Amino acid sequence: MNKIIGKKAQEEMVGFVVIVVVVSVILLVLLGFLLRSPEKSAVENYEVESFILSALQYTSDCENQLEFLSIEDLIVACERKEMCLEEKDSCEILNDTLKDMVKDAWNINKQSAVKGYNLEIKVEGEEKLILKEGNETSNYKGAFQDFAKRGTEYIVYLNVYY
Amino acid sequence: MVRGIRRNRSGQMKIQQMTFMLVAVAFLFILVGMFFLSIRLYNLKKTATNLEEKNAMLLVSKLADSPEFSCGNSFGGSKTSCVDFDKILALKYQVDEDDELWGMAKIELRKIYPEKDIECTETNYPNCGIVTILEKDVNTQPAMSNFVSLCRKEADESKIYDKCELARLIVSAEEKNT
Repeated sequence: MNKIIGKKAQEEMVGFVVIVVVVSVILLVLLGFLLRSPEKSAVENYEVESFILSALQYTSDCENQLEFLSIEDLIVACERKEMCLEEKDSCEILNDTLKDMVKDAWNINKQSAVKGYNLEIKVEGEEKLILKEGNETSNYKGAFQDFAKRGTEYIVYLNVYY
Repeated sequence: MVRGIRRNRSGQMKIQQMTFMLVAVAFLFILVGMFFLSIRLYNLKKTATNLEEKNAMLLVSKLADSPEFSCGNSFGGSKTSCVDFDKILALKYQVDEDDELWGMAKIELRKIYPEKDIECTETNYPNCGIVTILEKDVNTQPAMSNFVSLCRKEADESKIYDKCELARLIVSAEEKNT
């Protein structure tokens, strides 16, 4: 009788030990994950934000009667289908300039941390220009900048994948 | 006598069981405590990283918006993160290695678009792409950078106009010995 009680107690003890060990292992694994210091991201949000801001201020090759247009003004000119001097198409200049600018700023190659990007310009919520390059990975940083001119709302979105 | 020894053994066994239980429960509580502590620590680290990021952005923005760098109202209204190319080229020749500039060890400006890998001097300006304003011969912290507009006045045959290009302002602070 005594032996049976002893065995039962031993079995309970073993069961408890197993539970403690399993819980400990799970907690230790989670602890390991949590204690890993967060790695510095290859791309930061503020960089994307400042890129859009600076890009909108870039002076393009599109000239009107008064001045050379900034990218911001060029977006408006393109939407209004205005032509630059020497009969240059404003949309074509906008597309070419932005394409080269984003390419130079967010260099995509095998050695680079940046894997791809996606730039979108929306006018009144409608997509007007999309520039995509590289792969869209699950890690990305993005920002947008909106502005209104002559009663129309423009939004520039940029996602950089790494 | 035999019964006495058996009872003694059973008692020892029970004490052993109790001790083991107590140790195991204590171990479990310690682990759970550590788990919650690590969550707090993780959140703290995350906040620190966010603050660091914000600080980096503020530092570079502060530099870009300082009177020595900023465009002010020279380029049609106030522009954010706008650096005056003329000002920084002048500053480059005014700054010595021993000068204290916002506690920085390295301040550099690189033209991104259109890209030009030539150090700017008085002779090749503005057809250049790199302006090293300050470079101290010390150990530096990892560089922080941000995009800025690099603006200057340009003249063609008929008019003078504002020309803004895309650049990166790169700064590194001196590594503090602890």
